[in-house]
Amino acid sequence: MAGLKPILLVEDNPNDIELTLAALEAGQLANEIVICRDGAEALDFVYRRGPYEGRTVQDPAVILLDLKLPKVDGLEVLAKVKGDPQTRTIPVVMLTSSREETDVVRSYDLGVNAFVVKPVGFNEFFKAIQELGVFWAVLNEPPPHRGGWPSNA
Amino acid sequence: MSRTETPSIDLTACDREPIHIVGSVQPHGFLLTLDAASLVIAQASENAPVPAPPGTPLDDVLPELVAVVRRYLDDPPNEAGAHYLRTVALAGTGRRYEVAAHRVDGLVVLELEEIADAGVEDGLDALTPRLRAFVQRLRLARSTEELCAIVAEDIRHITEFDRALVYRFDRDWHGTVLAESGNGVLPSYLDLRFPASDIPVQARELYRRNRLRIIPDASYRAVPIRPVLTPTGQPLDLSQSVLRSVSPVHVEYMRNMGTMASMSVSILVDDKLWGLISCHNRDPRRVSLQARNACDFLTQIFALQLSARERGAQAEQRLALGAVQARLLGFMAEEDSFVDGLIKHPDDVMALVNAPGAAIVTGDRCRLIGDTPAEADVRALYDWLSNQTDEAEVFVTESMSERLPAARSFADRASGLLAISVSKKYASYILWFRPEVVRTVKWGGNPVKPATVDPAGGPDRLHPRKSFEIWKETVQGRSLPWSVPEVEAAKDLRTSVLGIVLRRAEELASLSEELQRSNKELEAFSYSVSHDLRAPFRHIVGYSNLLKNREAANLSEKGRHYVETIIEAAFSAGTLVDNLLSFSQMGRNALNRVPGDMNALIEEVRRKVMRDVPPERVVRWEIGSLGRAYADPFMLRLVVENLLSNALKYTRGRPEAVIEIGRLPPKDGEAVFFVRDNGVGFDMAYVDKLFGVFQRLHRVEEFEGTGIGLANVRRIVERHGGRTWAEGELGAGATFHFTLPLRGEAH
Repeated sequence: MAGLKPILLVEDNPNDIELTLAALEAGQLANEIVICRDGAEALDFVYRRGPYEGRTVQDPAVILLDLKLPKVDGLEVLAKVKGDPQTRTIPVVMLTSSREETDVVRSYDLGVNAFVVKPVGFNEFFKAIQELGVFWAVLNEPPPHRGGWPSNA
Repeated sequence: MSRTETPSIDLTACDREPIHIVGSVQPHGFLLTLDAASLVIAQASENAPVPAPPGTPLDDVLPELVAVVRRYLDDPPNEAGAHYLRTVALAGTGRRYEVAAHRVDGLVVLELEEIADAGVEDGLDALTPRLRAFVQRLRLARSTEELCAIVAEDIRHITEFDRALVYRFDRDWHGTVLAESGNGVLPSYLDLRFPASDIPVQARELYRRNRLRIIPDASYRAVPIRPVLTPTGQPLDLSQSVLRSVSPVHVEYMRNMGTMASMSVSILVDDKLWGLISCHNRDPRRVSLQARNACDFLTQIFALQLSARERGAQAEQRLALGAVQARLLGFMAEEDSFVDGLIKHPDDVMALVNAPGAAIVTGDRCRLIGDTPAEADVRALYDWLSNQTDEAEVFVTESMSERLPAARSFADRASGLLAISVSKKYASYILWFRPEVVRTVKWGGNPVKPATVDPAGGPDRLHPRKSFEIWKETVQGRSLPWSVPEVEAAKDLRTSVLGIVLRRAEELASLSEELQRSNKELEAFSYSVSHDLRAPFRHIVGYSNLLKNREAANLSEKGRHYVETIIEAAFSAGTLVDNLLSFSQMGRNALNRVPGDMNALIEEVRRKVMRDVPPERVVRWEIGSLGRAYADPFMLRLVVENLLSNALKYTRGRPEAVIEIGRLPPKDGEAVFFVRDNGVGFDMAYVDKLFGVFQRLHRVEEFEGTGIGLANVRRIVERHGGRTWAEGELGAGATFHFTLPLRGEAH
């Protein structure tokens, strides 16, 4: 295995970050978890720009994306990632507090892979996050890499 | 007029007779036409006292006339029609003539009437005192009939005819004799009516253009004018002529009436033919031009007085109706619906057009005021009105049954109908009714009797009624006429109503904009609640759990209890927010109704709710045949889920829970479903609270829940147009019913 792909968690709320990390840790995933605090930073990571310019050429296993984010919001990040042939195969899961129907509809229109409303109950939340992590980081088979030279070679 | 056999001669045949180009004059005077520039004779009647061949200068034939005609042409009067110039003695004849002139097609038409008795001089001077007294009396007259009596008397006095009638036309041109002055020689015609066909349409037009006609001797022989055509090749237009020969039909009519001389003067009010003053003499009789002019003058004064009076009466009525209208406008403005403004003031509605009954009819409602036909009949009128294709703002009739034969059955209440359309889109009308007025009309002959064939076997000719016995007709199915101010008041009301309706529509539009805006704000608010309020509760729950799980060793027993309580409280607050949001979503989301199988839906939900039931519980399901339902499946699923999970929740303590789901026979176009359980039930005293938001009948320790489930059930069912209700008994189970409209279910 050429290194486990990282899980990208895009979340601005530190409480949610801590709770999500706790849940993922409890799931004992080996994948690196990269945290971005807003949409702009998330796009920098995906496109290896700014602070992430030098990172390894490797798409994340999954992007766990909050809806409401500073600077560039979740739907914009989703639109960008899914609208770009280079990145659209990256699985994106909306992980949010909102159960607003318009958000759900819009996300699916943009090509989201899953939409998860964070449960209020602790056990349910832990279970949901662990299952997400296991599913996307371990079980899910990504499309085959079509080759090509690493761009930072 | 020589008519050949035409089998279908009717009385309107007179309407087609070209009486203004009759080509001949009466023999009591002679006629010359002159080229206006050269004063060369163009035509002359055959009875000219001196030879006047066409092409001869007037100067060669009747030199006395040249100066008179020149003066007339140099200073033409500004009034149309034949104009009296002066009295001239013609040297060649030794007789005196009254000369009148008018212009037609570049010609001067001269008409010379011989003065019968040179000794009598009825100059205007002699008439002046009479005219002055006449004007005085007119001013004092109190009614139209009185005015007419005065003018009849004076005209007869001036002309010395045996009888003078004042004759008024109604809307259909039937005439009624309003006043009469006579010396007893001729029969009285007072109050008689004469059918419109007695004075045909082109005669009426002639009467309008030429105010005074005279026939001194009905037995006259018409004198032809030679040549027949004018220099431009036209027959001579005699409509302004004073000597014009009349139609043979008219002469025959006169003979029938036993009158050998007649004169009539038109009464023109606002340039429209209002009526006639009709004078008759048993024997032939000449009336001097001077006296005729006096009669014309008298009649004009009379007509002015008449017009002023009618205007005055109308203005008075307008003023009175205007006050009623202003009140109604105020009433309508006070109410949300203009209809209420009218309904609450029935007296004013009826007074507006002086009607004893009215109705306000819209597509779904029919409100009656005062004396009206039955509601079904008013509806029938309304349907008939709505189907009229002409987009008239106001419909007026005095005889509804002539337009709609079915209206005959309620003629006693609505022979007269005045209706305004106040909304084409919603087909709303205001109608006023007037009852039938049964009148007996005395006709001077049968107005519906067709022309008769000459019994002597001569050529088919029109014979005006030979007999003038009074023919009585009872007029039915007619109301009193609607006056002009009344019709206008109705029209004005229509304008006001439309204005009010329009303003209301604008207010509603702005209100709905306002609502949409505030709805948008609410949506934004609930969005923010969903995201922002939920998160802190989740965090409290999450951290408390971490505390409990990972730091339990550092906590006392009491501390662990506190943490437990924090978790429960925060969890229920979070759940509450979730439920509230879904409740608000139920109200906002569009209904997407499709037909579907109820049993399949119930089974799916049953499996789902059973997942949370501990395996040791015994639940017996009794599910009947539920058929199909027409509903939004997503929302209906929530209804069923709420009802089934409630049933499971409240049967928790039962050794065997029995949950029955069934469908009752349809009622009032609705499918009726029910969910029954053998659980704890409820006290029917609180049944009203059951479906309220946050209403709970049990303590939290007994049964968890936020009190929003049944509120959601009711909201969803009501949005589908259905109803919900519950029956229960404390300790003996509960039954919840809901209905769904049947429409579309079978698809």
